[in-house]
Amino acid sequence: MTAKDLKKISRENLWFNNPIFIQILGICSTLAVTNLLTNTLIMTLGVTFAAAFSNLTIAFMKEWIPRKVRMIVQVLIISFYVIIVDILLRAFLPEISKSLGPYVGLIITNCILMGRAEAFAQSNSPLPAFWDGLTSGIGYMWVLMAIAFVREFLGFGTLFGIPVAPSWFPQWTIMVMAPSAFFLVALLLWFAKNRMTGGKA
Amino acid sequence: MKKDSILYTVVFSFIVTFLFVFLLAVANESTSGIVQRNQELARQKAVLSAMAVPFKTDEEVRTLYGSIEIVEKEGVKLFKGTQAGKLVYAKEFSGSGLWGTITGILAVDESVSQIVGIQIVSHNETPGLGGRVADPWFKEQFRGLKVKNGKIQVTYGSEAGSGKANKEEGIADGITGASRTSQSMDTILNSELSVLKKLLGGTK
Repeated sequence: MTAKDLKKISRENLWFNNPIFIQILGICSTLAVTNLLTNTLIMTLGVTFAAAFSNLTIAFMKEWIPRKVRMIVQVLIISFYVIIVDILLRAFLPEISKSLGPYVGLIITNCILMGRAEAFAQSNSPLPAFWDGLTSGIGYMWVLMAIAFVREFLGFGTLFGIPVAPSWFPQWTIMVMAPSAFFLVALLLWFAKNRMTGGKA
Repeated sequence: MKKDSILYTVVFSFIVTFLFVFLLAVANESTSGIVQRNQELARQKAVLSAMAVPFKTDEEVRTLYGSIEIVEKEGVKLFKGTQAGKLVYAKEFSGSGLWGTITGILAVDESVSQIVGIQIVSHNETPGLGGRVADPWFKEQFRGLKVKNGKIQVTYGSEAGSGKANKEEGIADGITGASRTSQSMDTILNSELSVLKKLLGGTK
């Protein structure tokens, strides 16, 4: 694995093979947590952390994992890191942990983690696997943050909870609710696909 | 031992599971003290702010909470304190919201004629929608809300945000986009008020 390969991995995960744009993975959480920037940031940091370290661990262990039970072991490792995130949040950021509620635990079922474990970590060495998990998480993070930015601004008139819109600004209730994430994801997909293909669909 | 043999698979799965669960248990055990302190502090803060007792630091919370008396009436635990020279009673409540249990503290004056304040301790409502029960604007509405004929009202459905809210009439605004949560708060608070009325009614 050379620096060039690592660069290729990050380009793939951040743009050309972005988990949201191309793989259409992790859409459930895209709809659920993107109405507040703070929640989205903590949640996606959790995903990035769990994806990076579960990939690293799986890549380390792959020689010893029997094929029959490999997916069970992958889920076990993913759950391990997610529960660690949950424990850390409860101990050191109780407020955030409270407002995220069940969503932290649900990172376990985020398809991106399982997808990267099975598609990449299972057949690559630890360092590139770690890098792949990390950049996949960041690829997911930036798209969600972009959506959350629009939703929080239009829905509440705030950014990271700080009021930024003038007082006469009408708050769009639809932006707070899950359907608006569908519209925004679709618009973003359209935009991204268009850029990638240069308008030739 | 062959990697695909049953024995290897069983032994491997056992060891891996044991190892990871053990590490989790260690992590959980080593932080349980902090988590418990956080929860206790959050509960004390909730009682104080429901009673409208102002505080700033965590230290202040501990001293102020120390002056609150815990009384038991008919097996129900009540917090008794004073605020601006008046007796205030508070009670922990819990009831079902849309997704799970909503727990919190409800504080009333001695004669249960007005709510002193409410505080939400925990809930599992939808973040950004029903989750706004824990937002200051929602809770602030209950400060000094008059109890009319032993009841208050939290508006929901098309009435939420319609300008019907009125402190003197005992009507609080519900949450737009979260009718079920607003309705649950209406039900929970009213049943708590009737319990408090029963418990405190005779002590006048």
